[in-house]
Amino acid sequence: MTLASKFPKNRAVRALVFAAVGAPVGYLVGKYLAGLEDAGVWSAPDLGWSDALAIVLALLLLGAGVITMIVSANRKALGRQIDPEGGRPATSAQASFYAQNGGVLALAGLMMATPVVVRAVFDPVPPLIASAAMIGLVALFLVQTASSISVWIGSDELMRRATAEISALTFVILQGALFLWAAGEKLGLLPVLTLWDAVSVMMTAYLIIAGVVIWRRGLA
Amino acid sequence: MKNRLKVLRAERDWSQADLADRLEVSRQTVNALETGKYDPSLPLAFKIARLFGQPIETIFQDEA
Repeated sequence: MTLASKFPKNRAVRALVFAAVGAPVGYLVGKYLAGLEDAGVWSAPDLGWSDALAIVLALLLLGAGVITMIVSANRKALGRQIDPEGGRPATSAQASFYAQNGGVLALAGLMMATPVVVRAVFDPVPPLIASAAMIGLVALFLVQTASSISVWIGSDELMRRATAEISALTFVILQGALFLWAAGEKLGLLPVLTLWDAVSVMMTAYLIIAGVVIWRRGLA
Repeated sequence: MKNRLKVLRAERDWSQADLADRLEVSRQTVNALETGKYDPSLPLAFKIARLFGQPIETIFQDEA
């Protein structure tokens, strides 16, 4: 009997097992890092709320992307994910599609993290480093956009429908929220947001909405 | 919208993945169709009808 066959098949049970293992591990790692900081061995960078949010999102995207790419490198493992009951190996087209999907996610995570990490490492950021980072970001953006278009072309109609729904819902909800915040800001009732704050909120909203749509359409 | 996809598939002893291959969609799409979480486009509905050799209205029924 393999480890995989012993593992709970039910997704909710699996999520609970991960939560039960992840929560104490996260607590202990956090406590250890806080202890190191108290001892003066290490100091956490002074991040604003949107920077912290961006890093959490970046880690989620990078993690999901890398795991997807690793799974897609093994056709048997990918086949089990695509069709848990049949379990036949994935085709090369499926493997390439999922690898590309993983790449898109990982690149999005990398792009989200780069400005925050560069600011945390070089504060103040020298103009040369800032320019180099920006050129790298533009290059990543172009590659990620081309990959996203390729994923769209390779998707079937349900995947395209879900993507369109996620985009439409995100736009409708955020344009309303953005207007109300901008009006409140103009009237001096709400604090001023930076564009980076807005981008972090937008990406968070996008991922939450994506999760809801994917669950509702049975794609999870 | 209700449909008889699951019954028609079972009659032929096809898995969801088999049907997905024949329709050139993902297995998740077949699952979403069978569980009523997604109504197919007209081109896909015609493709399903051709595959099973039945009129669209005998496979898909409007619940209204």
